[in-house]
Amino acid sequence: MRQGRSLKLALINILGLIALAGWSMPLLAQAPRGSPPAPAGDINPPVANCNVTPDTIPDPAQPGKRIAKPITGELLASGQPCQQVVNTQGLLDGNPLGNLQRGFDFYSWLTFIAMNSPSDGKTIGQGPRPGGDAFTKWEDLANFRPLGDVMLAKGTKPTWGTRIVPAECKSLDSKSSDGRNKIIFHLGEEAFNQPFKTGPLIDQDGNFALFDILMNRPMYDFIVENGLYSKEGQQKFKSPIRFPPGNNPVSEDATKGIKAEPGRMGAIMLKVSYRILDPEKNKDLIDKFHTSDALIYFPGGRATKTGPACVEKKLGLVGFHVGHKTRGAPQWVWTSFEHVSNVPDAAADGSIEKKLDRYNFFNPKCTSNCPAVNDTPPQPWDPDTSLTFKGPYRSQVVRTRMLPGPVIDEVAKLNAAFQGLVKGTVWENYMLLTTQWPSSFNCVQEVQKLENAGKDLMTVVDPTCAPAPTYLANTTLETYSQGKIPLASSSCMACHGNATTQHVPATASDFTFILEKAQSTRR
Amino acid sequence: MTGFTRRKMLTGAAATAVGAVGSANLTTQTAAQTTAADDADRALFIALSAALTGIPKERLSPAVDPVQINTEYLKQAKTDPAFDGLMQIIRADPSNPDAAAGKVLNNSDPNIMYLGRSIILMWYLGAWYEPKTLQKFNSSPPRPPYPADKVISPAAYTQGWTWRVAQAHPMGYSELLFGYWSKEPPALDAFIK
Repeated sequence: MRQGRSLKLALINILGLIALAGWSMPLLAQAPRGSPPAPAGDINPPVANCNVTPDTIPDPAQPGKRIAKPITGELLASGQPCQQVVNTQGLLDGNPLGNLQRGFDFYSWLTFIAMNSPSDGKTIGQGPRPGGDAFTKWEDLANFRPLGDVMLAKGTKPTWGTRIVPAECKSLDSKSSDGRNKIIFHLGEEAFNQPFKTGPLIDQDGNFALFDILMNRPMYDFIVENGLYSKEGQQKFKSPIRFPPGNNPVSEDATKGIKAEPGRMGAIMLKVSYRILDPEKNKDLIDKFHTSDALIYFPGGRATKTGPACVEKKLGLVGFHVGHKTRGAPQWVWTSFEHVSNVPDAAADGSIEKKLDRYNFFNPKCTSNCPAVNDTPPQPWDPDTSLTFKGPYRSQVVRTRMLPGPVIDEVAKLNAAFQGLVKGTVWENYMLLTTQWPSSFNCVQEVQKLENAGKDLMTVVDPTCAPAPTYLANTTLETYSQGKIPLASSSCMACHGNATTQHVPATASDFTFILEKAQSTRR
Repeated sequence: MTGFTRRKMLTGAAATAVGAVGSANLTTQTAAQTTAADDADRALFIALSAALTGIPKERLSPAVDPVQINTEYLKQAKTDPAFDGLMQIIRADPSNPDAAAGKVLNNSDPNIMYLGRSIILMWYLGAWYEPKTLQKFNSSPPRPPYPADKVISPAAYTQGWTWRVAQAHPMGYSELLFGYWSKEPPALDAFIK
């Protein structure tokens, strides 16, 4: 099995180097034998099994042409990509943008499958819960850590892997039915209020949607090793913030001066959104969602009006947004998934495509006195421990048509193919919106050169390097900033490009808002 | 009108920009749909635009271009009745866009000559000025209230080359890194090459 995989990678390597020109940046190769061991304390250690599967392969019948990589069951166990594998040439003749976009979207599906696979190593959809659901890799503290467990009170140094159970939650802290720990969910304002305090999202049962942020080990280690978990630590840190990028393994090529490198995963951050599922009222829905048994902790004080307190809820995953810093994408690659029953789409003519009888955040049966579409709820917005919105308001959300038509069509085909792979499981109910990536090759090269030299990006006119697509919004995470208006509408890179540290004066934080959550050691 | 050069045109474009900001009518036009006919004309339109504006065609129409502002601009220019006549000039000698630009800007047909100016202004300002309006005010600059113009789209508002030539950004929108206001702007070449 392992030898077969190595042969496959070798073939991909050769073909990739031949086929790719211009923008292409796959750097496909096997992990070189005899590559140097990782130094002690390496925050971005070598990864043995980077998934380097490309979205297209050479057409054996027509030399120079490429055909779609068959989307078959082998992809379910192919692992997590360390870096995108993309190509200007592909299924679309004379359309490098379209071919690159498809490559990134293929990467996003591989990432989704890998991160949502059971933490015990089984294949996605083979878990013990209804619909083949399982405790996933990203929920396992061995792989990812919630933001609330990193940016601790009084700027305390966090510890990897330690499960922190607030005192108020201890009496509720029994195991789930499959023997797994419940997730601990810290309810700060960012857990119920959307970015820039634009408002909460209320589901059709009147419950608040909830949001959480997590990070993988390389991202966590970069923060901890550099003391960035406290305001004072950030003040001491004098270099530009540069999270480690992921890269595929590289084979040595002396003729081009290329040195062998192992694959590395790089920094990954994840933002998820949930709706609350009542075990009785919503029992017909539970096998349609990835669910998590959660203990919701209300810290009280400045973070929430209620608390300290703790309540138990079953949460259904409705949004899954990954940022992955990679070689070739120093602005990170932005993957955005949603549950298929979240909201209807707006059609090209502006009408609403009501295809389902029931949505999580839209009432298709509403005919009079309906809430305005994509409007924010009336205040007050702070939830109490019931996590239900006071009053009759329910969000009436529609997915604004903000992606180019060809991207919508391409993603629909890719979704159908991957959803077919996980048919019969909860995972067939998730769809990729698309992937945002930096499209200017020369700009990316310049940014990487500056990053490698330890310089800031002030000499670059557009440090986001022309995001493609220009706008991207997840209706559960950026509900109120959908659209195509520069600056006002949601763009992963344009928004995160303005993220800063708490250094005085503020400095750019490498496309993450996580560092803004650090607390002071002095209070 | 003879001896009209690109340099003179750009001077006019910069002056016009001052008035344009005040009278902008920001539309929410959706992105133009690509058609086969657009594809056929786009390469020539880009080549002519590069010669008219002095901006490399690779910057006006990058090989990988998620914004595709050139598609919107082509669609806008096509609305002018003189567009086909203008394109006939570069179609006659596609290998020499500079010569075609000279023929446009010094054309005996004022409809073509002022359409050429409108195209330059479109690239630099992201706004459309009717060629007839430019002709009317050729010898005496307008006074307030300024003649109507149209910002072609929200994307066009951000894409005007006048901002890049000035090493600046449009009001309310900047791609520069957080804190850019405290430093010297990047070099001119970083904006335009």
